[in-house]
Amino acid sequence: MKHFVYICLIQHLTTVEKSLIVTQNNHEIFSSQSKWLYPLFELEDFIKAKQIEANNLFLTDKIAGKAAAYLIVRLGFKNIHIQLISEGAISVFNRFGVQFTYDELVPKIQCKTEDIVNGDEPVDAVWQMLRRRAGRVAGLIVDIRELSVEIDNKLVLSNLKLRIERGEHVFIKGLNGTGKTTLLKAILGLEKISSGSIQIGDYLVGSREWEKNRSIVGYVHQEMVKNTFPISAAEVVGIGFSAQKLSKAEKAHRLEISMRRTGCFHLANRSFHELSGGEKQRLNIARCLCQQARVMLFDEPTSFLDGSAKDELFVLLNEIWANEAPTAIIVSHDDQWIERFKWPVYELNEGKIC
Amino acid sequence: MLELFSYPPILRGFLVLMASGLSFPIAGVYLLRLNLLPLRFMLMHGALLGGAVALAFQLDPFFTTMLINLILVWFMMQAARGLKADAGNISIFIMVAAIGLAFTFISVFDVQAKDTLSLLWGSIFTISPLQTVGFVAISLFVILFQLLKRNQLKAVFFDSSIAYSSGVNERGIQYFVILLTALIVAVAMKLIGALLIDAVIILPALISSLHTKSMKSMIVWACIWGGIFSFSGFFIAYWLKIPTSSAIALIATLIFLIIFVQKKLKK
Repeated sequence: MKHFVYICLIQHLTTVEKSLIVTQNNHEIFSSQSKWLYPLFELEDFIKAKQIEANNLFLTDKIAGKAAAYLIVRLGFKNIHIQLISEGAISVFNRFGVQFTYDELVPKIQCKTEDIVNGDEPVDAVWQMLRRRAGRVAGLIVDIRELSVEIDNKLVLSNLKLRIERGEHVFIKGLNGTGKTTLLKAILGLEKISSGSIQIGDYLVGSREWEKNRSIVGYVHQEMVKNTFPISAAEVVGIGFSAQKLSKAEKAHRLEISMRRTGCFHLANRSFHELSGGEKQRLNIARCLCQQARVMLFDEPTSFLDGSAKDELFVLLNEIWANEAPTAIIVSHDDQWIERFKWPVYELNEGKIC
Repeated sequence: MLELFSYPPILRGFLVLMASGLSFPIAGVYLLRLNLLPLRFMLMHGALLGGAVALAFQLDPFFTTMLINLILVWFMMQAARGLKADAGNISIFIMVAAIGLAFTFISVFDVQAKDTLSLLWGSIFTISPLQTVGFVAISLFVILFQLLKRNQLKAVFFDSSIAYSSGVNERGIQYFVILLTALIVAVAMKLIGALLIDAVIILPALISSLHTKSMKSMIVWACIWGGIFSFSGFFIAYWLKIPTSSAIALIATLIFLIIFVQKKLKK
């Protein structure tokens, strides 16, 4: 009887249908039985980990709508076979020169993403949107409800409402004194809220639970650190985990990874005060990565950077949004720099978002 | 020279000097970083007030002075926070108030001013066995605190808003550091006297800040310099027949000048 149960179990496991298969020279190198777009995200992780080129591989997928088509294009596949394909997916494959065959064509597949994706957006924009929908971003929702902040009896923020989705990144601009920095400080919990609330993920800013978990928000502030007290670059980055209980090995690992990710590992033993504005800003971002911040707040990050340092920061921030994908709020009035990102821009005026 | 240590007061004095020389410069680093140098003057005047109170009510001058200084520091922090004012400025106000109160006690209770002032001139050879244990315990506590809280301290000393956003209880750490520093300054006052307190606490920290590039090395070097000054100061004082505190201050000044000249020549 026991033997019979084992045979049935093995038969069941081997007959579970694979939703996605990838082959190289007719040898299967990857398969997945997951649903929706998850097999493609799993495949993305696999390709990254193995460091292989997708254009030499052959992909067989069970169903592909526009969303899946975008993900397949972004992965770099050139030859594919789809069992059930939508007309929208065909137009995406044609647009990007992907060679495809299929078993069955339908006008559209029954999935919400088929309506959300138009088919003419940039690949990266669709990929980021789908990652957010799939919950594959580090970022958390920032929900600001009817927020008012008074400083010295003056209303700086008045009934401000703003919701930023997981992994979304936005700019906030406005004239000096309109409350941009106050807004960031209120999100951090550094400025007292007069009325309203700020919810970050599951935590209400100011609550006891929030106090225990406030390192989920990383902060890069406007001013340069003015004191010249001896501190090394690695020590500044290590501040990110200063309140977290980690093993020595974990600390060393996190420190190295975050410094390498931001291209400042070679500066580790240099004095922080000897570094250029651009190098300091890289360290600040490395500090937020080391902290594993899921929301990043930047207050005028380009205010003390020259042209080339601004370019480097642009590239670095884009890399971080493409990988760790934290939710980000950047306060800036550097219009030229803001325009390069093509992110949503909100304007703060008289304590309200316009 | 080693026969000196057969005398218990001298052995105790040496032990206390070495323990504090190796650990109290940590507080010097805190004092420099938090810009609390005026705090020393407040504590010196607090010591006078403590001495006057102790002599007026026949209490133990050491513990009365410590208690009064801790109360003054607590008041300073509350006032600085409540008024959103610089703690250094508040300490100057408290300093004046403390000396005013001290002379009021001296006058009202007919205390000998000379006896009170003598409290500002400590001596390592008058330390009791119990005080020796106390000094060593405080030294160990400072080292332990620095070791256990080094990451949070680094964050707070770098930037308080960044420390806060990293999840550090920066206000709690800052309060505790100020209280600890006050305690150490009060203890050191008894050890080598208030007027030469800088030699054991501030100068090692100041010298190490001149040649280090990280907070870790600054703390380590401050302790090394403190140990070297205390050790050499003890024997040079015996050899030249000068007060230990003067010998420590002179050695520290010499090292400071050497590093200063070396830096100038490098430039």
